[in-house]
Amino acid sequence: MANDQPPPIKGFIENSLLDWPGQICAVLFLPYCNLRCPYCHNHQLVLRPDTLETLSLEAILDRLHGFKEWVDGICITGGEPTIHRGLPAMLRRVHEAGFKTKLDTNGTQPETLHYLITENLVDCVAMDVKAPLDDSVYARCAGVYVPVSIIKKSIDVLMAGTVPYVLRCTVTPSMLAESDIYCLAEQLRGLSTETPSSLTAAPLLSLQNFNPADPLDPELKNVQPHTDQALARMQEEVNRILS
Amino acid sequence: MGNLLEFSHVGHEGSGDRAGTEKPTREVTDIALGTLVRRSEEVLDSWDRQKIVDALVRETFVDQDTAEAISLEVEEMILVSRISMVTAPLIRELVDAKLIERGLEQARRMHTRLGVPLYDVEQMIVQPNKENANVPHGPEATNLTLAESIKKEYGLLNVFSPEVGDAHMRGDIHLHDLGFIDRPYCSGQSLEYLKKFGLNLPNSLAMAKPAKHAEVLLAHMVKFAAALQGNFAGAIGWDAVNLFFAPYLEGLDDRAVEQLAQMMIFEFSQQAVARGGQAIFTDVNLYWEVPKHFEDVPAIGPGGSYTGKTYAEYEKEAQRFVWKLFEVYKKGDGAGRPFFFPKPLVHITEKFFKTPGHQAFLNHICDVASDKGNTYFVFDRGETAKISECCRLSFKLERSDLEDAKQPWKMRYCALQNVTLNLPRLAYRAKGDDTQLFAKIGELIEITIKAHRQKREFITRLVSHKSSGPLSLLNMNLDGSPYLRMHRCTYLIGMVGMNELIQYHTGEEMHGSAEAMKFGLKVIAYMKLLADQCSRKYNMRFVLEQTPAESTAYRFAKLDLKYFPKESSSVVKGDQSAGEIYYTNSTLFNVGASMNPVERVKLEGRFHPLIEAGALTHVWLGESKPPAESLANFVVKTFQRTKNDQIAFSPEFTTCKGCGKISRGLREACPWCGSEDVDGITRITGYFTRVSSWNRGKLGELKDRYRNQGHFTRPLTPERSDGGRVGR
Amino acid sequence: MTLFTKSLCSACQEIQKDFDLKTLGVEVEELGPDNPDALAHLAWHELVEIAEKSLPILVLNDLSAIADTDAIKNYLAERITRH
Repeated sequence: MANDQPPPIKGFIENSLLDWPGQICAVLFLPYCNLRCPYCHNHQLVLRPDTLETLSLEAILDRLHGFKEWVDGICITGGEPTIHRGLPAMLRRVHEAGFKTKLDTNGTQPETLHYLITENLVDCVAMDVKAPLDDSVYARCAGVYVPVSIIKKSIDVLMAGTVPYVLRCTVTPSMLAESDIYCLAEQLRGLSTETPSSLTAAPLLSLQNFNPADPLDPELKNVQPHTDQALARMQEEVNRILS
Repeated sequence: MGNLLEFSHVGHEGSGDRAGTEKPTREVTDIALGTLVRRSEEVLDSWDRQKIVDALVRETFVDQDTAEAISLEVEEMILVSRISMVTAPLIRELVDAKLIERGLEQARRMHTRLGVPLYDVEQMIVQPNKENANVPHGPEATNLTLAESIKKEYGLLNVFSPEVGDAHMRGDIHLHDLGFIDRPYCSGQSLEYLKKFGLNLPNSLAMAKPAKHAEVLLAHMVKFAAALQGNFAGAIGWDAVNLFFAPYLEGLDDRAVEQLAQMMIFEFSQQAVARGGQAIFTDVNLYWEVPKHFEDVPAIGPGGSYTGKTYAEYEKEAQRFVWKLFEVYKKGDGAGRPFFFPKPLVHITEKFFKTPGHQAFLNHICDVASDKGNTYFVFDRGETAKISECCRLSFKLERSDLEDAKQPWKMRYCALQNVTLNLPRLAYRAKGDDTQLFAKIGELIEITIKAHRQKREFITRLVSHKSSGPLSLLNMNLDGSPYLRMHRCTYLIGMVGMNELIQYHTGEEMHGSAEAMKFGLKVIAYMKLLADQCSRKYNMRFVLEQTPAESTAYRFAKLDLKYFPKESSSVVKGDQSAGEIYYTNSTLFNVGASMNPVERVKLEGRFHPLIEAGALTHVWLGESKPPAESLANFVVKTFQRTKNDQIAFSPEFTTCKGCGKISRGLREACPWCGSEDVDGITRITGYFTRVSSWNRGKLGELKDRYRNQGHFTRPLTPERSDGGRVGR
Repeated sequence: MTLFTKSLCSACQEIQKDFDLKTLGVEVEELGPDNPDALAHLAWHELVEIAEKSLPILVLNDLSAIADTDAIKNYLAERITRH
């Protein structure tokens, strides 16, 4: 399944303190995605990546060389990185250059995920879970039909593996009710083995707030995100369910 | 009424007091000559020409005959004018006009009346003061402003030479806190002084013996801070607060320690009843570890007696207290807003990393930094120990100070004055010529040194009156030397607009190229070497400091647009059409440059070892709230991999006047109740405050601030990439 | 390469005497009250604090620095033998 050609890079952040808790990381954005989540805020990357300049991996690694004592790792996000056949080659190259790797994925490619983990190509995974594990609700939140069995399989891969991971869910008020979140948490508890997330201070399911600035579905622009306090309260409840 | 000339005087104060009696003051003269305030119940006084003569002879060097002649001429003018009521200020100005006619410029200066036009007083009483965002509006604030305006004039006329005064007026330099001309600039001290001697202030009605309980020690601390604030212009800093409280905390349960932490922070944050309605500008210096220089020092405990232990043995208590302090900061005030004061400065020494629990503590204070922004991270690398205060002033503890550390009550440090150089103007004058530029820097430093020597001379005069003088508090002598140790004072040389100097002189801003930044380093190196030379020459300690320049950055930009419009308009920052203009503070890089925060702390940090009195890099967070662990990672790397002296992370908040709730980010409307009656809260320079109180220059800067989008928040589009340019 | 020195520093003088620094491609910058350039370069290399305690300092082409006199001598001697 590997391909020597690393996928095109359409965006780059030198140092992020947000994408890998406890770490300072660089972030690479890969184009295209197999989902169409209405709240997606990176849709330019998904739908019109040709409008973005392609950056060279080597030039980026070169630039990051100067930050070697600062940057702990590189986070590969998108779009959806796992739909690119060249992803393993890219991760390998990043490792060669001396950086740890973190993968952001939507969990629709469990085989790829399994391959990356068994080949030790990723050091940390953050996987989005869009909705409670129910085909129709999931399709609504992902914008396309996704059999939740695939998502469950990816979660199984993460739970069985040795790599620290975190599951993330973006909470968009008009799309997910508070009860949906707790339902998802209950379902995850059902799947969960004894191993909690080994990421520092990160709960097994981390809630993220919806950003109304420029969603894929323009109608969502008018949706008020939850307040920080409300989100924090939901997170606490989720933690309680999962503990 | 004979000749229709009427004079009133303020009855009880001036009546009968002929000019020239034992304690002549300016006001006596004014009062004796005429109306200050027209008050119906007060008696009108009649014209007495002799009072002009007496005033001239007493206040100036003119001879009796000239004084007589002038008084006659003025009397004639008043008669001719046929006005029915004249005031003392008017008579004085008429006399001054006659002095000018005679070419008696020196006498005119000496005879000047200091006062405030009616219009200005109206403005002050009705409009808020925007010079210092820490001053609220109110009768006390107006008093402060009025007193300051007169003392400012007094300082410019009577403390500083015309050369220095003019340089300030033109905006070549800025003499900070001129309105507090009769006070030193700022003070850093130790709780040990209070623990050992109690609260025993000169002229105080009661003296308190050393505290026996933690709450009483806190009460002494707050009162002493207020007293000091009345004697210093700027910040009041306290060293190793959690450590020095520690001997009082033994045996207290966690709830009691928490209560004490709460009391301390609320006491200092709510002291808006102090001078001019301002909060006491308080810094508390804190440590997780017991700093090396205090390890073997015998601890003073309740009642001012030695506990028989050294401070090294109080590590656990000190840690318990500092942990609780940050729990209070994390909660914020009653409405969840960040506390503005006291500012917590956490010192990180090499020993920090060897002290158990440091990682958890670092995460704890980074959580506060991310959530509320309060934490300052002060890096004491190698063998240096520092005590920080004011916006970013820190004193290096040198050998003599380390000797003091054995008797920590002696540890009190003062910067006597702060003078800031307008750097961009030097570039305009040098017209691109290196030699000219450095020559002009030299000339300006020379004037700065004169300003410092003149201020020192003035303060020396004030303290020479000992306990009966105006600075009696600073003469208090409980340990063998006066509280203010003049020979140990430092004199600060600040700078504003290094970035614009470089931009005008080289065509590139400092973040533009390695060459531009290297040139900036050369300018600072040159200034430092000059300051060192002058220190040896005058036996005074001149040190560079990053001026907070809350209003100076605005004032210089405004004056330069006026006097150097062609040159300055291309480099002044902000919105020139809106008048929201500023120069970049000190040696900072352009606040709007989309520089990666790693590069900013690293590159700005290269200036810091040359700026001995303290330097700081701001990381503006905007509305983002990065994970505490990631900030902790960043802080550790800043300590280990840069020379940066001090960093602070600044989030932004919106507080709603409607519902009283707080939200993150600067917003037009309250996300809770929709009200548009909101105010922003964020760091202005070295402290948090409400945006509505900011001057226009800082408002311009706020709009420009680069909030590290992408580094701390998920980018909305992925296309932005920094493409850093400055060399590594 | 740059060697930071100051006057009245015997180790600095020794190295300047013992080695033909020019041929080795080493520039000498003498720190002193009249040399802001040298101080600025020192600050650029983040060596101000080290220089307060120990001089000379040799900054190599890869921007790493050697602050120990014997280590500087060894390094320079090795460079000679390699050439």
